[in-house]
Amino acid sequence: MKPLSLDQPWGRGFRVTHAHAFADGAHLPAANFLPRGLGRSYGDLCVNDGGTLLHAFRRDALLSFDDCNGVLTCESGATLADIAQVMLPRGWFLPVVPGTRYVTVGGAVANDVHGKNHHVAGTFGAFVDSFTLARSDRSTPLRVTPGDPFFATTVAGLGLSGLMLDATLRLKRVSGPGIEQEIRLFGGPRGGGIDSYLELDAESKPWEYTVGWIDTLDRSLRGVFFRGRHCDGPDEWLAPRPARLTMPIDAPQWVLGRWSAKSFNTLYYRLHATKTAQRSVVPIWPFFFPLDAVNAWNRAYGRRGFIQYQFVVPTAAARETVPRIITHLREAGVASYLAVIKTFGDVPSPGLMSFPMAGTTVALDIPAPDERDRRALDRADAMVADVGGRVYPAKDARMSPAMFQRFYPRWRELEAARDPAISSSFWRRVTVAVHKKGPQP
Amino acid sequence: MSGNISPTPESPPSSARAIVVVGATSAVAQAAIRRWAAQGKTLALVGRAGAALQRVAADARVRGASAVTTHAGDLGDIAFIDSLSTTVAPNVALIAHGSLTDSARAEASSEYLDYELALNFVSAAQWMQRLALACERTGGGTVIAISSVAGDRGRGSNHAYGAAKAGLTAFCSGLRARMATRGVHVMTVKPGFIDSPMTAHVNPKGALWATPETIADGILKAIDRQRDVVYLPGFWALVMLVIKHIPERIFKKLKF
Repeated sequence: MKPLSLDQPWGRGFRVTHAHAFADGAHLPAANFLPRGLGRSYGDLCVNDGGTLLHAFRRDALLSFDDCNGVLTCESGATLADIAQVMLPRGWFLPVVPGTRYVTVGGAVANDVHGKNHHVAGTFGAFVDSFTLARSDRSTPLRVTPGDPFFATTVAGLGLSGLMLDATLRLKRVSGPGIEQEIRLFGGPRGGGIDSYLELDAESKPWEYTVGWIDTLDRSLRGVFFRGRHCDGPDEWLAPRPARLTMPIDAPQWVLGRWSAKSFNTLYYRLHATKTAQRSVVPIWPFFFPLDAVNAWNRAYGRRGFIQYQFVVPTAAARETVPRIITHLREAGVASYLAVIKTFGDVPSPGLMSFPMAGTTVALDIPAPDERDRRALDRADAMVADVGGRVYPAKDARMSPAMFQRFYPRWRELEAARDPAISSSFWRRVTVAVHKKGPQP
Repeated sequence: MSGNISPTPESPPSSARAIVVVGATSAVAQAAIRRWAAQGKTLALVGRAGAALQRVAADARVRGASAVTTHAGDLGDIAFIDSLSTTVAPNVALIAHGSLTDSARAEASSEYLDYELALNFVSAAQWMQRLALACERTGGGTVIAISSVAGDRGRGSNHAYGAAKAGLTAFCSGLRARMATRGVHVMTVKPGFIDSPMTAHVNPKGALWATPETIADGILKAIDRQRDVVYLPGFWALVMLVIKHIPERIFKKLKF
């Protein structure tokens, strides 16, 4: 598996210049490099302007697997796509998957990714037994296990604590390649808005996977709620259908305004309105990775790219703050397609910089953000920070250093654990004051 | 799929014939090995001694190969080639090792030029010959050499590499004729530019570049169809047709 672009992040929209190196064992570049997987982070987290990218995508071997307990050891460049495809026919699946399977194990650990089962399972990092870390200031790689100081700074460590060579993960048994899915509508003309979402979510706790799609451009906050659990299915579902569609060109910018977003959202809602409360059995692949069916779907957002804004607010504040932020963004004229809403559980995350917390998270795609959009998002950041929430670095390309440091008060511990030869555009941006002042006490 | 029972392939009889891969750590070979492993094949992986060969073997085992053996040695050593060829029982053999010769260095050092020609042509031809006979002995099969479009015409920028591959292409063509009535199919694969560690120094890579996975898919398909000579991806057949017909008077002045 090869990244679509060696230079750009998934959200595109800006260009950077890099030198490129390919990871080969524990040999590291001398200075200013950033380990990189498939570059699916949306913003500047996976780029290192003016420095070197150390590509790990070719180090993707699966090294050992124990069919009794599901423990897999693989190189950090192995993709979740590859692992899922090899393991599903044997009755195993990844314990946590994000919205795309085209991420590497290294990237999934570095961002401590979450999935639709966060309320019961926690984050990806919770299933990491150990890993090997190569650092420029050590002559031999270290084996790191939970409890070691480098564990909490590598899980959700944004790739800064060293180059992960291989990792040992615990997979989970599944009953087959199917998902028993139920679709419910909330909000809309029947009213209730966020309350009806929270009710649906609360009564869906026994379901392993829950996620909602929410129309942020609709005053009544209508949405579609999906819940699912693993089940058996026909053998044809064991392998994903290859993506037949490729976004061949950048979509022209004029189709990406607020009105197209409105019509798209309405269409999407109506499409699901006909399937209400429907129980069905669907293949595992489109349930978890609907967008992977189109290659290079990020080009649909045009040459100027897009950003994704994902925040989480604690449980106590969700009912009041989520609608307030969505209303604020709508009134500020921020266009958004396909906002996703999910309620996290209270399983602790192993990384000291992990994004998820017990509460409700919303993720919005914003095409070609302009100055007005950015000001509106800065204001939203403040609303999130005021109730003790956070914004997700993996999707960020714009939050201010001050906000970042409020969201992640323990960031100095990551700075202290950072490999002195590793840096990223994101890290320099959000810790800019520190770098100007020089070394920390 | 039924319940939680994992369909691990049944262990093969000890006489199962193997797919022999020489140069198993090369990018194209690794991609092909993954495909064969997923089909539950028996693999014999040949390469230079070291961790890299074990890594490829481990990966093949996890991906479902029913048995994997590794054979480490100097790929140019005739004794190694002879002894291995008499012990394996291949039904498919893929000769995938090679080195992209640095033409400037070949100009400066005769030792280097000699080493490169020996590796890319002499050792590849030796493996092809011995493994073709091993296939015949054990009941027929397919022997595949990874040559190159570079062997179709010597270019100023890679004259040594191109010459060795030209030799290999000619050797395979003759070997194919020799083995045609003896139950062994000889296939020549001519890939174009491959985006692999061998070419990591070339940046940026244009539309002509293919991934090792694409090449491996092409090789497996060509084996099924028993192709003789196959350009991968296919458009290279057309490109090389044009390049072969440029008059030498003009060709010698082209800088590529």
